[in-house]
Amino acid sequence: MNLPRFDVLVPETIEEACAMLIEHANSGIRLLAGGTDLLVDLRSPIIPQHVPRCDGCLTHPEGAVRSTIDCRLWDSDPIMASNGSLRGALQDEGLASPAYLISLHKLDELRGIQKLRDGSLRIGAMTTISEIGRSEEVGNGWAALVEGAECLGSPLVRNLATLGGNIANARPAADTAVPTIALDGTLTLQGASGIRHVSARDFPRGPGISVIKPDEILTAVIYPPSPPHSASAYYKLANRKALEISTVGIAVSLSLEEPGGPVADARIALGAVGPTPILAESARDVLIGKIPNEAILSEAAHAAGDDARPIDDHRGSAWYRLQMVEILTRRLLKVALQRAGGDK
Amino acid sequence: MKKIISLTVNGVMHEVAIEPRRTLLELLREDLGLTGTKKGCGIGDCGSCTVLVDGMATLSCLTLAIQVDGRSVETVEGLARDGKLSRLQQSFVDQGAIQCGFCTPGMLMTATELLRRNPHPDEQEIRRAISGNLCRCTGYQKIVEAVQAAARTEP
Repeated sequence: MNLPRFDVLVPETIEEACAMLIEHANSGIRLLAGGTDLLVDLRSPIIPQHVPRCDGCLTHPEGAVRSTIDCRLWDSDPIMASNGSLRGALQDEGLASPAYLISLHKLDELRGIQKLRDGSLRIGAMTTISEIGRSEEVGNGWAALVEGAECLGSPLVRNLATLGGNIANARPAADTAVPTIALDGTLTLQGASGIRHVSARDFPRGPGISVIKPDEILTAVIYPPSPPHSASAYYKLANRKALEISTVGIAVSLSLEEPGGPVADARIALGAVGPTPILAESARDVLIGKIPNEAILSEAAHAAGDDARPIDDHRGSAWYRLQMVEILTRRLLKVALQRAGGDK
Repeated sequence: MKKIISLTVNGVMHEVAIEPRRTLLELLREDLGLTGTKKGCGIGDCGSCTVLVDGMATLSCLTLAIQVDGRSVETVEGLARDGKLSRLQQSFVDQGAIQCGFCTPGMLMTATELLRRNPHPDEQEIRRAISGNLCRCTGYQKIVEAVQAAARTEP
């Protein structure tokens, strides 16, 4: 058999699942959503290609299980160094070879895409990536998320993989996490002591590391309504068109005060160029209040490059990634501008 | 400890006792003897283990058997009816879309899902749909043509 020995718990309610997380915390327990990451991780030693390939991964304890893009930066992250309470995906050895998996497949309340009364969009954490990629409701207002969903893994992976899993795993290249940050999504985390909301931007703390607590489950993501004259876009730069992890992934969400008018807000999220996806704040500062033209867009794209913190790995060098951040940000800003009706 | 699950495979109801770590792929091949579904990479990269779960093309190597409790599974063995190949299977034969044959069951299941959802896909849609199914004979051109031909004869 391929997988190590574990027991599978199948809760009927979220509360039950949270209680299980607490009860078995000491014997190693993981949440099973789509399984496209977890089941691969649990059996990874069999496949030599999945031995971590970047130097940072080889020297870092967390990297002993999964290849990551930028573990080295993690060591120098002051937040990580100072805050021992954060849960790394594999900080605890029990998480690498858990005695229990909690399969969330019976929790229908975690599925589905819903437009809320205030115009925002709620997507249940167990909603599959395929469902999001095919959803007109999501495409109509949150295009970057659909574009991210359409290029994650392969069609077969997308049929299993879930939005919650992609975000909760906190990988810096995650194809739906990067647009979620650009679209200012808010994550709903439910734990034994109640529900809290965390901005998607503040959730990841390093590769595979997030602010989620051991008893918490990511239950939904809420995207605020898209303002008038706004648009978003995502682009994944990768070596192949399918079954690939991005070398650089950029999501842009842009809103104008009026058609052809100044920029009201611009959120540019950069994937795979840092220990977490990065919100390019200096690029936003360049754009806000200005009527976009070629020079302004180039200046903003350059600023986005300054916000990126890429490293060299087998997918691309830091130098190449920086060039691509700048070029792709400029292109995507143009796409978003055109979609938002600001292109003269 | 084994758990008892029930599922429908190709229209036949099964009740089986399985270890929780057992995958749907292992259940099909080893417990039910349905070896048409192939084991390739075991990590979701190659698509040769593709089956339909409630009509959805699914990587059976990355699905625990316990997760399909109460659900309906279709495998390549279920495509032919009364000894007659499905339109898509016949098209694979007619177009020579089979070389070593290892990827064929996965390709057939993925393309079956595509044609149910979209009876007349264009070439790009077909290529995109099978982008998670690897053919190491690199026989993609014939496979795409076979799906196109099957779609043309779709009523």
